[in-house]
Amino acid sequence: MSKLICKKCILDSDIPGITINEESGLCQFCESYTPLSSEEKKKYLGIIEDLFTEHSGKGEYDAIFALSGGKDSSYALYKLKKEYPFLNILAVQFDNAFISDTAIANAKKMCEIVGCDYFKLTMEEKRLCDTFRKAAESTNAYSKFARYRASDICNTCISIIKQKLIEQAIIHKTPFIIFAFTSGQAPNPIIDLQVNFIKWSRNIFEKQLQNFGVEDKDEIFLIKNEIIKSIDKNTTPIMLHPLCLWDYNEDDILKTLADLGWISPKISDSNSTNCLLNSFACHNHIKKYQIHPYAFDIAGLVRSGDMTQEEGLEKLHKELSKPLMEVAAKKLNMELE
Amino acid sequence: MGEIKEVMMAYLQNKSFMDSGTKLNDDDSLTMKGIIDSIGLIELIDFISEKYSIEIPEDLLTPENFDSINGIVNIIQKLTK
Repeated sequence: MSKLICKKCILDSDIPGITINEESGLCQFCESYTPLSSEEKKKYLGIIEDLFTEHSGKGEYDAIFALSGGKDSSYALYKLKKEYPFLNILAVQFDNAFISDTAIANAKKMCEIVGCDYFKLTMEEKRLCDTFRKAAESTNAYSKFARYRASDICNTCISIIKQKLIEQAIIHKTPFIIFAFTSGQAPNPIIDLQVNFIKWSRNIFEKQLQNFGVEDKDEIFLIKNEIIKSIDKNTTPIMLHPLCLWDYNEDDILKTLADLGWISPKISDSNSTNCLLNSFACHNHIKKYQIHPYAFDIAGLVRSGDMTQEEGLEKLHKELSKPLMEVAAKKLNMELE
Repeated sequence: MGEIKEVMMAYLQNKSFMDSGTKLNDDDSLTMKGIIDSIGLIELIDFISEKYSIEIPEDLLTPENFDSINGIVNIIQKLTK
């Protein structure tokens, strides 16, 4: 049977696990999709504002912000401080050993512009490379659902970031952790991180690392158990994804950032403006599972009306950068097949 | 029991890409079998809260209650009584 493309998003019947209803012409996700209405978005933003008012100004920082230096997080930091100038933010940039120099410069510049502290979270390069290589070589590390959300390498990287930011928030009693996930990446704008969930998600990630042969005995990647034991149940952090509530238009975001002095990176990766590993991670994932790790994310943006179907399909089918893949493969000590 | 189980199985097949051929026993761990992860768990809990109009108290958010079909069915029955 010839390939069917969902009428509403960009998912198609050649992607394993995607079914297109021949009658409606929609994939199973678009069939059951209920978008957040503008009233619901307003309601969530109202809740976030109330939370900020209630919890800010009590500790060293009000929020820890995950800043990659890429376009989405740079814009979200700018918009966040514009909307809520009273927030005292610590922006944390994770140096995953593949972050571009431009991304580091952009992150520092954005922090200067908005007036917040910057911290670069670093880890031993060899250990990171070994871990990413093992993730790339694995085929059973993450759940099936996770394969649609991101590549095995990206899932590993983002899990490390989440674990360590939650850890920092607990240590410093920071009430909020903020990520710049789009509506395609994070359907839940507010996640109250309760103690049992923190413990459980830590154990799930520990098991995922073990699935591909990484024993994180000294808890470099995982939230330290000692820290979890010290959690005060009344001050667990709340994770926020405000970008999925704001209007999202890639061209407008890039224009706003360019006006601020954010430098467009010279890396030719249509899906990342900060990470030099991303093209390799996508290539590796497509080869293993025949699933483009950005398909679901882009489909979410198209489904919610933040991107046209044409733009989404163009982004999805843009060729991955061979020079970037070659550099990353060499650093990971892997063959580029 | 049967109806809730059917709803949960349909949810897992549609939303977590569980193959219809996947052999899943009622006590199998959803996380250990790679069917859901921590993000999937948040979505599953949202789905359950909305579908059954229940609020899930923090102390009940445990693997015993949400990491297997049996646990989920039992907790939904308990909270909807």
